[in-house]
Amino acid sequence: MMTTEITRPERTTTAGRWYLDRAGLDDLVAALAADGRTVIGPTVADGAIVYDEIRASADMPHGVGDVQVAGRYRLTKRDDARVFGYVVGPTSWKRWVFPPTIELNTGRRAGHRVEFAPIRPRPERLAFIGVRACEIAAFGVQDRVLDAGPFRDADYAARRASAFIVAVQCTTAETTCFCTSMGTGPEVESGFDLALTELDEGFLLDVGSPAGQQLVEGPLAKAIRPATPVEVYTAAADVAATRARIGDPLPTAGLHDRLLAQLDNPRWAQIAERCITCGNCTLACPTCFCTSVVQKTDMEGIGATNERSWDSCFSPGFARVAGGSFRSRPRDRYRQWLTHKFGTWWDQFGTAGCVGCGRCITWCPVGIDVREELMAIAPPIALSPEPTRVEPVAASFDDFVVAQVVATRLETADTVTLTLSGADPAFSKGSLGQFAMVSIPGFPPLPISISRFTVDGIELTIRGAGPATRAMCALKVGDQLGLRGPLGNNWPIDRAVGRDLVIVTGGIGLAPLRPVIHALAADRRRFGDVRLYYGARTPADILYREEMERWASRGGIEVHLTVDRAGPEWEGRVGVVTQLFDQAQWEGANAIAFVCGPERMMQATANTLAGRGVTTSRIYVTLERHMECGIGLCGHCQMGRFFVCRDGPVFSLEQLGDTFGREGI
Amino acid sequence: MAAMAQKADRGRPGEHGHAARGGTPRPRVGVVKLASCDGCQLTILDLEDHLLELSEHFEIVDFPEASSARSNGPYDVLFVEGSVSTPDHLRRIGELRKQARVLVTIGACATSGGIQALRNWADHDAYRAAVYPTPEYVESLARSTPISEHVSVDFELRGCPISPEQLIELLTALVTGRRPQLRDEAVCMECKRRGIVCVMSAQGIACLGQVTQTGCGAICPRMGRGCYGCFGPREQANAAGLARWFQASGERSAEEVGQLFAGFTAYAEPFRSAITDLGGTRGARRSGGGGFIAAGGTGAGRASYLAGTRRMEGIDDDGR
Repeated sequence: MMTTEITRPERTTTAGRWYLDRAGLDDLVAALAADGRTVIGPTVADGAIVYDEIRASADMPHGVGDVQVAGRYRLTKRDDARVFGYVVGPTSWKRWVFPPTIELNTGRRAGHRVEFAPIRPRPERLAFIGVRACEIAAFGVQDRVLDAGPFRDADYAARRASAFIVAVQCTTAETTCFCTSMGTGPEVESGFDLALTELDEGFLLDVGSPAGQQLVEGPLAKAIRPATPVEVYTAAADVAATRARIGDPLPTAGLHDRLLAQLDNPRWAQIAERCITCGNCTLACPTCFCTSVVQKTDMEGIGATNERSWDSCFSPGFARVAGGSFRSRPRDRYRQWLTHKFGTWWDQFGTAGCVGCGRCITWCPVGIDVREELMAIAPPIALSPEPTRVEPVAASFDDFVVAQVVATRLETADTVTLTLSGADPAFSKGSLGQFAMVSIPGFPPLPISISRFTVDGIELTIRGAGPATRAMCALKVGDQLGLRGPLGNNWPIDRAVGRDLVIVTGGIGLAPLRPVIHALAADRRRFGDVRLYYGARTPADILYREEMERWASRGGIEVHLTVDRAGPEWEGRVGVVTQLFDQAQWEGANAIAFVCGPERMMQATANTLAGRGVTTSRIYVTLERHMECGIGLCGHCQMGRFFVCRDGPVFSLEQLGDTFGREGI
Repeated sequence: MAAMAQKADRGRPGEHGHAARGGTPRPRVGVVKLASCDGCQLTILDLEDHLLELSEHFEIVDFPEASSARSNGPYDVLFVEGSVSTPDHLRRIGELRKQARVLVTIGACATSGGIQALRNWADHDAYRAAVYPTPEYVESLARSTPISEHVSVDFELRGCPISPEQLIELLTALVTGRRPQLRDEAVCMECKRRGIVCVMSAQGIACLGQVTQTGCGAICPRMGRGCYGCFGPREQANAAGLARWFQASGERSAEEVGQLFAGFTAYAEPFRSAITDLGGTRGARRSGGGGFIAAGGTGAGRASYLAGTRRMEGIDDDGR
């Protein structure tokens, strides 16, 4: 089928374009191998086109096609000998640039000392043959997520940089293809070293990089000849016909806004009856990047190796924290995935998370088609997104800086404040409300709020709630631990200058606000009235008791306390923290509020504050999510368009919009 | 050292133990069985490379499969294989629980009731009469049930048999005082990480991997056959949704789909409800008609799995 689309001059010119006959594929494979590269390309295995190592063109499919519909994939025999007569299969190239499992680092405890050693493998030199336009687009998406800063996945970057890319223009399409809708194909236009368009007996060969040019001028010189105008036109026509065959299966205009306006659509619950939440879609996806770290320890409990593996937002444990999962229902997890791919990904990375390859449709074992779901869920409606906030801080994914415990203080029966010195100098530039990833080998690293910045280190206030936090609480003076940070954003204390400040918190939630109170007390005149409302379980659970008395007596801060339950010796209030300011006389029109506690408590507080005239742009909360990397690379703390670790943990209610307090986000 | 168990914080390992060469006391470990084939116990014995290290950290005080040493407890860690299938089991499991600070159930029988739980859908007396010449000598309960139905369980190791890697991970976690890292996710995740082509999408083979907890290393799909769920349902397994898809897409009858779930972990929810909703097990339906022969395990479900092992020979002409 001819279309009017083959008018671009660069497609129809013959200058600098070559013809490689089918036997010449062997010369290409040999040239890449001679360049010291492991060559990966399509093979036939287990009833599918599987990318794997190849040594000659005989390892590649000849005369094989495919049929793909939702939930179903079959190979077919073609009536020709084409090598690329099918579309993408179950494998994606991310298997090589972002492997399913890598070792990150090792840790070791020796007496009081701990040691960390990153494992930085030297990736082999690779060459990929048969990369489709949607797959090149997927590299682009992964580059933005993993290699565009401020934090980078060095392992990915190294593997990606090492790969020589031989692209293939698609001259066939399947029902699952929708690259045309996502703007990623079928034409390969950039991002390759060499590109092939398959013709009846050979290939049109285009050069896309100096490395490709070297190959054409060197080892391939004898295998190629200049392409004829007929070959050039035929190639362009075949690709254009592919575009016409795919059509525009997913109208994407305004999709981001349309979709994010549908968080309450009843369809989410209906999909969840069909969705098995197996995670196949996410692992087949060439851009999904979520991972989890599993620590392998020896039986002595002193040596540990951290291994990072592909994970999925569909697994129930992925968003779990102590107390449960933030996305406990399957519908939450499907919504998370779909709204991320087609909505919030734009906010985070300036692109969709989907390239239209159709793998999630074919390889969904129960045949759910994202295109159908999107069209059913998202009618046209407009919303304007807010820009995300990124705080660049020096840190890397796989390393910890060792710090030493120089003092410990028992705050309550189960809570300890550790004073650490020798920490990363970056902490001296840290700001109020930030956290550190804290690691003891043998236990998973945890995000802990910094409760004080000292001259040469920080303090961490830790409640021993689980094995890792109990191990941290048990550290003695002279013991070491690993730190990464400071991470996350900060309480916007500058916004409170000249205003009244209301701080509402409970339990361990006071820890990230303690540096704020220290800062206020140090520069008290610049702020209006400052009120701290604090709730604890019992009088014995009140944190920083002595310090709090100084805040009240000398710091000019009104301190109001309440407890959940108390004995007769307690003369203060009993009840939830919001009741403390039910009877208060102040007005909120000039106030700004910082709130830290369980999500339900923060919601109740926000409502009460709103009733006093504190608008949502002046109410700041800090969110808790499962965090593993702390720098926006592992995906665990995804919340709508935010990574809580990188874009938060402090957010204004205005920023969060209607996602705040919503179940299952 | 942090507390050793999630649910039952019953103290520290080694509390009851004897010191190994003057060191700290080693936790006392027992391995006992109820109704089971001993295959999971053999997995412990098969940990050849680790046995020496294990013996440095644990004192095995009771393990009939492996040694003549006997103990009636107390145990720091007690591994229990097998389901509760007889009145004697019912009595013993309560006693064992009292003697064990950390109780770990191992294998499909202990964690779900096992293959023998297929009788739970059938007429127990008819089964007994069909199998044994003098059924009055056989004392058994009408239902085979998982241990967690009777006493609290601290950790479960799934599988038929259990995975040696998971066993080592649990033991390491117990001795170092951290939580074991046992993934609760679909077998599919392991298939995808290993690059195994989905046997369901590419070959139309019925596979329970999506609803089954991982831990086996996706061994069946790796061999080109469907998962039959021996690790049991994973958290929030949507068995009903999968059953609907099997019926709608796979040209399978409700009865055939029911048999797919009627395997080693049939009695674990939600597999149990799926089987019941689809009409029960094959044997149960037959037993009502008299002349019953215990053929449930080789019924349609089994047959269709075996059919599934056929690898795609060549390539279909029409893509079917």
